[in-house]
Amino acid sequence: MRADAAVPEALRTPPLTDGAVTPASLDEQVLRFPETKPPRKWFLALAFTASLMTVGLALIGYTIYTGIGVWGNNRPVFWAFDIINFVFWVGIGHAGTLISAILFLFRKTWRNAIARFAEAMTIFAVMCAGLFPLIHVGRPWLAFWLFPYPNQRALWTNFRSPLLWDVFAVSTYFSVSLMFWYLGLIPDLASMRDRTQSPFRRKIYTVLSLGWRGAASHWSHYEKAYLLLAGLATGLVLSVHSVVSFDFAVSLVPGWHMTIFPPYFVAGAIFAGFAMVVIVLVVVRETMNLKNLITDFHLEVMNKVILGMSCLMAYSYLMEGFTAWYSMNPYLHHVFRQYVGGTYGWAGLLTICCNVLIPQILWFRRARRSYFWMIFVSVAVTVGMWFERFVIIVISLHQDYLPSSWHVYKPTLVDFGILFGSFGLFFTLVLVFARVLPVIATTEVKMVLPGAQPGRHGAP
Amino acid sequence: MVTAETAAEPGGKAFAVLGLFETAEDILAAAQGLRDKGLGRLEAYTPYPVHGLDAALGHRRSPLAGMVLVMGFIGAVSAFLFQMWATGIDYPIVVGGKAPMAWQAFIPILFEVMVLFATFTAGLGMLLLMNRLPFYGHPILSSASIGKITRDRFALSLEAYGGAFDAREARAALEEAGATEVEVLPAPEPSGPWSANYLLKGFFAVGAACLVAGYATYWAVKLFPVLPPMVHMEDQPKLDPQEPSALFRDGRGMQSPPSGTVARGFLPYSPAAPEEAAGLANPLPRTEPVLDRGQKAYRTHCAVCHGVLGDGVPTLTASYGAKPANLQARAIRELSDGKIYDAIVRGKNAMPSYAPHLSVEDRWSVVHYVRVLQRAQNATDEDLERGGRP
Repeated sequence: MRADAAVPEALRTPPLTDGAVTPASLDEQVLRFPETKPPRKWFLALAFTASLMTVGLALIGYTIYTGIGVWGNNRPVFWAFDIINFVFWVGIGHAGTLISAILFLFRKTWRNAIARFAEAMTIFAVMCAGLFPLIHVGRPWLAFWLFPYPNQRALWTNFRSPLLWDVFAVSTYFSVSLMFWYLGLIPDLASMRDRTQSPFRRKIYTVLSLGWRGAASHWSHYEKAYLLLAGLATGLVLSVHSVVSFDFAVSLVPGWHMTIFPPYFVAGAIFAGFAMVVIVLVVVRETMNLKNLITDFHLEVMNKVILGMSCLMAYSYLMEGFTAWYSMNPYLHHVFRQYVGGTYGWAGLLTICCNVLIPQILWFRRARRSYFWMIFVSVAVTVGMWFERFVIIVISLHQDYLPSSWHVYKPTLVDFGILFGSFGLFFTLVLVFARVLPVIATTEVKMVLPGAQPGRHGAP
Repeated sequence: MVTAETAAEPGGKAFAVLGLFETAEDILAAAQGLRDKGLGRLEAYTPYPVHGLDAALGHRRSPLAGMVLVMGFIGAVSAFLFQMWATGIDYPIVVGGKAPMAWQAFIPILFEVMVLFATFTAGLGMLLLMNRLPFYGHPILSSASIGKITRDRFALSLEAYGGAFDAREARAALEEAGATEVEVLPAPEPSGPWSANYLLKGFFAVGAACLVAGYATYWAVKLFPVLPPMVHMEDQPKLDPQEPSALFRDGRGMQSPPSGTVARGFLPYSPAAPEEAAGLANPLPRTEPVLDRGQKAYRTHCAVCHGVLGDGVPTLTASYGAKPANLQARAIRELSDGKIYDAIVRGKNAMPSYAPHLSVEDRWSVVHYVRVLQRAQNATDEDLERGGRP
């Protein structure tokens, strides 16, 4: 919308909202959700996801009580569903940080409408992710051993282990995402505090909004802090998935020991995360009538990001294969043949199909704007990215240097139950969030509405 | 009670006069106009950050960036030094063939801790240090305009801040600047926090917190670790002496040896009667290690009754009625090695068998040692001349 004559029509940002949206109408539209009774279909959806979650939690309890022998993991496949799910969920989370931090630094104002939801998804996804290493340690009540604290064994944690780097990276990522999200919520909570009629709700919002009063001097520090946080979170999000990839790349397992892993993992994380954001946003904008705020344009740009990331994934796969071939290492050659040919060859082919071939449909503008195609692609990407981690972890492990210990891994029902349970947990949290807190960062959207800023800075 | 009406009077206690504006452009223009009039501290309240308002109000640049830089640096350095100290100095340990101070491996955690320090400085520094939040007592929060401000209106306020403040003058200036609504905010009633009610609540809160913390600690330290599954590793299928066990069909933890087998070091004792043992010869050589072993076994098992010197004076109290044999007695000195050995295996009079406590080697060593004791207590002049050599 920036009236820059030098920019060709096709490259100009279209209006970020459909129809007339004023700050007051925005508040009325978005902040009313927490105060109205949710519709029947919301309760039905919640019942479904909550039952999935309950099954998952019960199976986690069973695992903890009995021991992780109830999973399919066995030598040499010591890492399987647990670590696949961990990497998968951490990756889903990265889209939120990308949208809220990296696009903020690039001054992409379209991010303002979807940032809140994407950030919430980050937090929920990291919660799901954190669950898996925790139960995989087998005795989660001793998980505090992961942190370096003075103890009677006089022993420190192994600071040279990528697994410990992971502990620091993921816990930092969670705390920073939570704070970033909460800081963004404060002005919206203040709006809710001042518009609610219910004294009980007012009390909660008053406490949560910390007495925010919108003073210009406060905004000045707030904007500076937000900018700094965005810059720091950008570095953080790149580091977190790099560290996750170190869990593999720093080891000597053929198929894992590769220098391309950090950028390849980061690209995959953003890819899977955007797909999940698209799925959730389509449902949200349809069921909550937010079409005027989350426009076709928003979905189209996100689909473009998915397409770009899909091309990056294709490059990564080719580069990985080339590196393996060029290494002249027979073990590596063997593992890469297993990726597409062996017992689990179907998983490798499915990964390539879902992550590389299917998203190419998004080259067409009609597909980028069609619910059917974008949901189809996003679901394919979600499945494909889960199987990509399956390929990397299980196939690399099941046949390594020692043929006498080769083993065909078979997941058990408990493995599947916990996987689907984590989806239940994620969507339960998403559903609750959608009806309890402002789903759109109203303050940030008000900031970029036409005429929101004094004219001499150019209306955005 | 100070109300909006009385506050506006000359000499009334007004905290601020608030003027509402419709658009961001209006408030920016008004702020620029009012800034130099010196009617009070000029502040704006807006639903979102308005570009250019900082400059119009004369705000300084936020010092957050510098704070973040310093704290990020402190985080990075402390994480790095801590890792170097823990792995290189406090408990040097070689992992993966790397030197204890291989600093390259400490970079990822250095980076994460740096980001953690920097982000919490940015977030909490902004809230707590710069903006002094949470603060629920600001007069604007109880004003009539706050609902409009957090929705879509822009407020300029002239606030009493040091110096003289004339609410009527401020109101006139705001109206002149184009404010659509003007509100006078009374100064809040001063309230002392040290009322009896406050103290009572405080004591109650501290007491409740102590109770909760105490029970939580008790639960975490005493109860939680002994609940299943936390104790599953203690509760393993294993054999305990004298305890039943499900591992064997007969349900006993301790099993008799299978028939026809001999445990290592437990050859059956062949003499059927003490008389037959007389002919047994001591198979062990009379060397220093054997005598040391005999001494140790004697002092452990025999000396308590027979005395350290073998003189039959027990170290037990007088109430111990059995009269242990005096090993220095002529009759015993003249016994063959085999007979003494037999007494150890079979026991004699009140003395039980010591076979379960002493291995075959131990028993023969004890026999050697008893001979040493006997010779030492009955030394001849000849022995003295030989200087203790055999």
